[in-house]
Amino acid sequence: MKRLLNILLKGIITENPLLMLMIGLCSALAVTTTVANGIGMGLAMTFVNVFAELVISLFRKLIPNDARIPIFIIVIAAFTTIVDLSMKAYFPALSKSMGVFIPLIVVNCIIMGRVEAFAYKQPPLDAIFDGIGMGLGYTWVLIGIAAVRELLGAGTIAGIQIMPSSFQPILFFTFPPGGFIVFALFISLNIWLNKLKTASAAAKEAA
Amino acid sequence: MKKDILRLGITLALFAAGACVALAFVYTITGPKIAGLESEQLAASLKDLFPDADSFPAIEPGIASSDTSVVLDKSYKALRGTDILGVAIKAVGKSYGGAASMLIGVRTDKHIAGARILTLSDTPGLGANAVNPAYFVNKSSKTTFIGQFTDKAVSDPFVVKQDVIAISASTITSKSLTNIMKKASDAGAAWLDANVAGGVQ
Repeated sequence: MKRLLNILLKGIITENPLLMLMIGLCSALAVTTTVANGIGMGLAMTFVNVFAELVISLFRKLIPNDARIPIFIIVIAAFTTIVDLSMKAYFPALSKSMGVFIPLIVVNCIIMGRVEAFAYKQPPLDAIFDGIGMGLGYTWVLIGIAAVRELLGAGTIAGIQIMPSSFQPILFFTFPPGGFIVFALFISLNIWLNKLKTASAAAKEAA
Repeated sequence: MKKDILRLGITLALFAAGACVALAFVYTITGPKIAGLESEQLAASLKDLFPDADSFPAIEPGIASSDTSVVLDKSYKALRGTDILGVAIKAVGKSYGGAASMLIGVRTDKHIAGARILTLSDTPGLGANAVNPAYFVNKSSKTTFIGQFTDKAVSDPFVVKQDVIAISASTITSKSLTNIMKKASDAGAAWLDANVAGGVQ
C-alpha cells in the first residue's frame, strides 16, 4: 500500500511531469488561459493517461520491443478519440472551448513518456497509480498557472469576476510570453520548496 | 529477419484492429448524440434569430456565394404562416484556427437579425472570445463581438476597426468572421430582393 501511495505522490509532487520532468509543456502553456480549460484538459489527459498505461501494462509481455512505439501511439490515439467523441456528445460547451487541444493529447509527451518509462515495465496496478499521479500532477499545475493567468489577464477565476471592476486586465498574461513567465515562477517555486524539504530532512538527520 | 518483420506486422495489425473495434463501439454510441446536439443547436439558433417565425424550411437549391472564400452551406426561410420574415444562412469560411461556421439572419428590411457562431476552433482566451458570452467588445453597453452585428444594415461597409469593433489581439479572427458576415448577409439580401415582393414585416 505504501508503495502505491509513493507512486501516486511521485507524480503529484516529487517527479511532477511539468515542474520536475519538464515534459508536456506545450499543451500546458496553450490551454492555461482560463481555469475551466485547465481543469478540462487536465482531466481529459488524466483519463487517457490512466487507460493508456493500464492497457500497455496489461499487454506489456505481448508487445514486441521493436514495434512498441507505434503500438503505444495506436493505444493512446484510440483513448484520445474516445475522450474527444464523449466530450462532444456530453460536454459540448467544454469541447467547443478546448478546440484543437484534445486531439493533441495524442502527442502529449507525458503520456508517451510514462508509457515508455513506466507502464511498459511495471504491473497493471502500479501503472494505474502512476497514471493517476502523473495526471493529477499535470492537472494541479495547469489549474495553478491558469488561475494566475486568468486572474491577472482577465480579472476572473473560472469565469467569476474576482478583481474590482476598476482593475484593467493585463492582457499580457493571456499571451504566450505571460504564460512562460508564470510557468517559470511555478518551476522556481517548486525548486525552492524541494530545497526547503531537503534542508529540513538534513537538519533532522543531523539532530 | 524476414520472419521477424512478419511477426511485428501481425502484432501491430492486431493492436490496430483492437483499437478500431473499441472506437467503432464508442462512435455508435456518441455519433447520433453528437448529430442530435448539432441539429438541436441549429434549431435553437434559428428560433433565437427570428423569435416571431414559426417554421424554417430549407431553401432548395441553396443560395450561391458570390465569393470563393465563404461557402454558403445551407439557407433557411424564416416563415410566420406563409409570410417571409427573413432568411437565415449557414456560412462557412476560413478563420484563424481553421474553418468557422456561422448562422446569419437577415430581415426583409435588409438589416441583420443577428448572428451566431456554430463552430470555431481558435485560441482560448483570444480568438475564442468571439463565442464567449461574457466577453464584451464594448464594456459599457455589454455588447459581445457577435452581438454588435444585430440590427446592423447589410449595406454598411463591415470593416474591422471602422464600423466593427475587433476582439483585442485577435485581428485575424475578427476580420475573418466579419468577412463571413458580410458575404453571407449580402447574399441573403440579394435572395430577399429576388424572392420577396414588397416589404413584408
